[in-house]
Amino acid sequence: MAATDRFDAIVIGSGISGGWAAKELTEKGLRVLMVDRGRMVEHGEDYPFDGKPAYEIPARDKMPAALAKRDYFALNGWVSPSTQPFFINDRLNPYDYDAPNKFNWVRPSVVGGKSLTWGRWSFRWAPTDYEANKREGVGVDWPIRYDDVAPWYSYVEKYIGVSGGKENLDYLPDSEFMPPFPMNVAEKWLKGRLEGEFPGRKLINARLSNITEDKPEQNRTRCQKRSQCSHGCSFGAYFSTQAVTLPAARATGRLTLRSDTWVTNLEYDPAKKRVTGVRMVDAKTGRAEVVQARMVFLCASAMSSLHILLNSRPKDSERSWFHSNGALGSAVMDHIFRVGVQGEIPGMTELIEYGRRPGGVYVPRFRNLKTEELPFKRGYGYQGQAFRQPAMVDGFGADMKHGMREYGPWKFSMGAFGECLPYDDNRVMLNFNKQDRFGTPLLRFDVTFRDNEIKMMDDALEQGQLMLRRAGLVNVTGGRGKHVPGEAIHEMGGARMGRDPNTSVLNGWNQAHDAPNLFVTDGAQMASVSCVNPSLTFMAMTARAADHAIKQMKAGVI
Amino acid sequence: MSRARGVAMIGRRETLAAMVAAFGASAFAPLARAVAYKPDPVINTGPPAPVFTAAQRALVAALSERVMPTTDTPGAITAGVPAYIEHMLGDWAIDDERATIFGGLAAIDARSMADYRVPAVKATAAQQDALLTLAMNDKLPGATEFFPAFKQLVITGYFTSEVGITQEREYLPVPGEYDGAYPYAKVKRIFSA
Ligand SMILES: Cc1cc2nc3c(=O)[nH]c(=O)nc-3n(C[C@H](O)[C@H](O)[C@H](O)COP(=O)(O)OP(=O)(O)OC[C@H]3O[C@@H](n4cnc5c(N)ncnc54)[C@H](O)[C@@H]3O)c2cc1C
Ligand code: SF4
Repeated sequence: MAATDRFDAIVIGSGISGGWAAKELTEKGLRVLMVDRGRMVEHGEDYPFDGKPAYEIPARDKMPAALAKRDYFALNGWVSPSTQPFFINDRLNPYDYDAPNKFNWVRPSVVGGKSLTWGRWSFRWAPTDYEANKREGVGVDWPIRYDDVAPWYSYVEKYIGVSGGKENLDYLPDSEFMPPFPMNVAEKWLKGRLEGEFPGRKLINARLSNITEDKPEQNRTRCQKRSQCSHGCSFGAYFSTQAVTLPAARATGRLTLRSDTWVTNLEYDPAKKRVTGVRMVDAKTGRAEVVQARMVFLCASAMSSLHILLNSRPKDSERSWFHSNGALGSAVMDHIFRVGVQGEIPGMTELIEYGRRPGGVYVPRFRNLKTEELPFKRGYGYQGQAFRQPAMVDGFGADMKHGMREYGPWKFSMGAFGECLPYDDNRVMLNFNKQDRFGTPLLRFDVTFRDNEIKMMDDALEQGQLMLRRAGLVNVTGGRGKHVPGEAIHEMGGARMGRDPNTSVLNGWNQAHDAPNLFVTDGAQMASVSCVNPSLTFMAMTARAADHAIKQMKAGVI
Repeated sequence: MSRARGVAMIGRRETLAAMVAAFGASAFAPLARAVAYKPDPVINTGPPAPVFTAAQRALVAALSERVMPTTDTPGAITAGVPAYIEHMLGDWAIDDERATIFGGLAAIDARSMADYRVPAVKATAAQQDALLTLAMNDKLPGATEFFPAFKQLVITGYFTSEVGITQEREYLPVPGEYDGAYPYAKVKRIFSA
């Protein structure tokens, strides 16, 4: 980069949040540098497995166990040869924890971040989610409420396209929807039975950032029901940086994108209380430089942003500039996960599915909504689907082969995502005894699940099976694994928003209390985590923060 | 002079490899590991590393075809299942898992010699079926875990092959639409995932 280059803003990270920051800031007139440690992936051209069946993918798309164990241990089953090029190699990029408190930190290694491989389930938070901390005296109060974010949800949803069904539920507000992916016949049957047996509980269409109507102005075609989204989709049918926010930012002519560039820390002027530059290392040459801009949007994903913030510190000090009140790195959260139930749906065996939907159905939270008398706080929702698998036939030979042309019964399975509480002593920090290849002390996790989470998992298991049994499913089974934090891939918190600068890192506009020209708009900002998937909220909050930043810049405040 | 330049040019890994090779079997373990170290993960997409003897390979082919025979659609051999199995054992399996397959093949061969006086690969299709049936019913010492493992390998290899995906099953590369109440009678086949 030439020394003459001048940027109004630097966006760190190009994933779900960073892409939105770049789009909003460039569209509002700023010259933006977006940097990402990952390699470049161009939309369409760099999706080597888009549209490919298993026989055209190395190893028939089954990850060799030894390779997964050696290089992708944090992914714990998420990665396959078709998605592996999008994920980071854990062996070459280590992090740290003490053995009993394992953390499975799932990280991307490409421009676009996890937007290329995410599951695309997209929900608004409910008003109660922004109020729960205050009501229960847990963590710190959110400085904002649902009404502050609602217009930004709409703004983002209209742009990206979210499919789903209107339900008018006060605990799961509707989005600006495109038509939902339809339920299959077995799901419709289950919906009727479940809602009849459990008044107040619902089984609804998935809400997905997969479009069901074309968006020609964005060069995007509606979903073709192939269900191989994590290979990358050249139809642009699901939200990703590549398909949606990057083209918009590029179209302004004001975006500079640098891939293979690792940010190690922010430079800070304590007298002026401003971030003065971003230190970045070229991953290919190892050359480091500090690039300056009037403001910085930190969107490296929750834990990576904390890593960068923790490593932004005075020379000869182990304490970050942004750690003045001790809050940085604390109250790290992830959703509860690893509770699953399944069973067989009787009948309808003459019907099957044509096409492959990229999502299924959702049972929204039904716990602790009206009264809070259960032995745990907050709640969980269930994501699931009904499907038919080929029959498994005993024996071998022609009879077996032809027997396998029939389907087995309809089955339904669903898994819970639940809300974990913000515990101050669930934290990340730097380990000064170990460094990564760029000389940065490793990020160290000390995050565990507590009594509230364990009780919630038990309840989810019990209620899940009860619902399926009472709805009339047979052979209902369920299981509850040990949940290792990080595995739900919804890690959040650590630089939370708050009203009080003494107990939080960011204000209600995502601005660092210690540096008004620094905005952190990824999951690190979260003061609590609701039980729904988080990324839609990151997008809305990023767009909202960018709007505020521009106003402040124009007003000369930053 | 030219030698020094040559060493500099071939780079650290090759130099190390050449040196470690010179130590032969006595190479110090960490050195050997450093040579084996590959900065990027590699998934073998080329031909499988050979695992079987020629005789074992022939038997695996014959038995996989008995499990998934040619009928109105191609069988395991046309679908490339034998190579898939070798690939799985060479690149994925660990010793115990390989032993399950090797042990089973040996037990089947031994029983074939005892019952039919020919190695299993030379036995008739009906005799091979009888041998596989013994293994399936747990009546072949040394081959108890063989049958379910082998059947899984054949089925997975077959239904992830081009034959399995596009001929034995019905493949929709771009379905375009979704119908969650589609009559099976219209296809009478399984739609490939
Ligand atoms: C398999 C899977 C399924 C998921 N399903 C869902 C779902 O259904 N719904 C949902 O809401 N969420 C889902 N998620 C979570 C979702 O992907 C994340 O919440 C989201 O991507 C976070 O956005 P982000 O911008 O904060 O981070 P990311 O999308 O991870 O982007 C961060 C970017 O920053 C870059 N970066 C990191 N550190 C540095 C550094 N030091 N210097 C330079 N660049 C850096 C990274 O390379 C990356 O590109 C899923 C995740 C996975 C992996
Ligand atoms: S299912 Fe839809 S979004 Fe997913 S890859 Fe196919 S067309 Fe794209």
